Amino acid sequence: MNFEQLLLTVLTYGCLYSVMTVCLNLQYARGGMINFGTVAYFAAGAYAYAIFTQEPPQGLDQYLFGFNAPWWIGFIAAGVASLLFAVITGWPTLRLRGEYLALTTFAFAEVLHSFLLNERRIGNGSVGLSNVDRPDFSVIGLSENYAFVLAAVLLLILTSLLCRRILASPYGRAVDAVRNDEVAAEAIGKDVHRLRFEIFVISAIPIGFAGALYAMITTLVSPDLFTAEVTFFVWIALVLGGEHTIKGVILGTLALVTFEEVVRSLHFETVRAAEIAASVEHMMTGVIFVMILRWQPFTRFATRGREA
Amino acid sequence: MTLIAQYFVTGIVTGCFLILATIGFSLTRRVEGFLNIAHAEMLGVSAFIAWGLNTQAGWLFLPSAIVAIVATAFLGLLIGRLVYDPIRNLGPAVLLISSVGVAYVIGGAIDAIVGTGIRSLNIPLATTYKILGVRITDYQMIVVVLAALTGISLALFLNKTKTGLAIRAMADNPALATSRGIDVQKTSRATWLIASGLAGLAGVMLAMIATLSTDIAFHQILQILAVAILAGLGSLYSVLLSGLIVGVAMDMSVYWIPAGYRPLIAFAVVIVVLLVRPEGLAGRSKS
Repeated sequence: MNFEQLLLTVLTYGCLYSVMTVCLNLQYARGGMINFGTVAYFAAGAYAYAIFTQEPPQGLDQYLFGFNAPWWIGFIAAGVASLLFAVITGWPTLRLRGEYLALTTFAFAEVLHSFLLNERRIGNGSVGLSNVDRPDFSVIGLSENYAFVLAAVLLLILTSLLCRRILASPYGRAVDAVRNDEVAAEAIGKDVHRLRFEIFVISAIPIGFAGALYAMITTLVSPDLFTAEVTFFVWIALVLGGEHTIKGVILGTLALVTFEEVVRSLHFETVRAAEIAASVEHMMTGVIFVMILRWQPFTRFATRGREA
Repeated sequence: MTLIAQYFVTGIVTGCFLILATIGFSLTRRVEGFLNIAHAEMLGVSAFIAWGLNTQAGWLFLPSAIVAIVATAFLGLLIGRLVYDPIRNLGPAVLLISSVGVAYVIGGAIDAIVGTGIRSLNIPLATTYKILGVRITDYQMIVVVLAALTGISLALFLNKTKTGLAIRAMADNPALATSRGIDVQKTSRATWLIASGLAGLAGVMLAMIATLSTDIAFHQILQILAVAILAGLGSLYSVLLSGLIVGVAMDMSVYWIPAGYRPLIAFAVVIVVLLVRPEGLAGRSKS
């Protein structure tokens, strides 16, 4: 793989995953909610996009719906699908705290995964939907690779701006107050449940858009692509970058994606060697993750800066 | 009717396996105070050590199983001391997320050493007995007997021995336990040994009744979580009942709905229990 190709891949996927980490950061570092089902909102977006733009089923296809709509309708549908899924999962679960919330969101994500895998009428079951529609970029005169990088970067910038805007507003300070001391926030008249719910739902929308973009890039959606691995990956990226700052989590995600892509682009003689390399990469990710949680270098750095 | 009875019996066996797999997890939750996601990976470690000694080194099944269980127990202790002890004061959420990292490391190590593919132990084929039209194999019976024995011996251990009482005291009130002269370090170490040893036992059982692949651990953690939550996080005796409930519910469901949805039953249990009765079967509501 040449350098330019590697750079493009890293930028595209890095930005896509960064959208998720930025949203997760909003939920966790600011809202105090542990969402262990991130992949579900991503998958909801990707599947919604695929279903809306797919041609009606024919031949061996087992899915029921294909609306053959233009790409921008599919893109909007992706955001809506993710939002709806956040409403469905957030409404009953957000009164739970800490690890209980983590477990319920995790379980919801697994339920969605299981439905996508077993219910062939949604998206062909384990086969998935292939040949997902791509928007035509020739209008603006860019090759597809560059266009997708541009789209991913744009989506990331918009998401970051949205998050920063929310957090810098009085509304953001109310969210901080709820996280820091729920009782106190409630005592001064903040509707704690509503605030948490709103943050949860708002932050799901960009994840859905990222899912749609992911479906366009890979032109394939299948349950295999949306496992709990994605959730864990995003969490590791979040911790790696040092939670709390948008810049930090984006850098963390880019670093992790770069690391992964570099290992993937290495050339191996045998399948077994590639397998070992992938596993070792997994192990190293885990070790780095545990070490960062142990010594918390970023938090320490941040607080030192504040004192100075 | 026989078919339903057959599913029920298979469900009991699944339930007994889940009891073995979950007790260690719940013990960790009770004493160390966090959800150890890496617990399921310990099952994998033990299963593959047993497999390696049994098929690659040519040992008999029993010694390889014992070595696997002991090795897993000490690996658990090592990880507990190395990873979780230093960050205990950072709170259960950080511990929970850290254990995901540990799961990554162990899972990656197993993948790197063993590689993908399906494997099974070098043991005689299971003998099937037919009782009133319901089939059960001898290996399945071993699982049931071991689950019962584990339940009884754990109850004896926690109620009769000094270490057991110390574990219970520390679980209920660590500060008070310390002031009454209980060695917290020693008790914590004993907990890690027992919890990981139980994971090791469950792993060997898994190797015995199922075929092994390296992603096996991940599928177990989901069911372990379901059982632990239904029991009420951290409670031990209700694990016995909730393990059977989840096992029977999963296997009986196959009678009515496609088998692909079998794991879904476990998550449905998680969601319903957390929404309706977060304190679980144990019923000790905590604020």
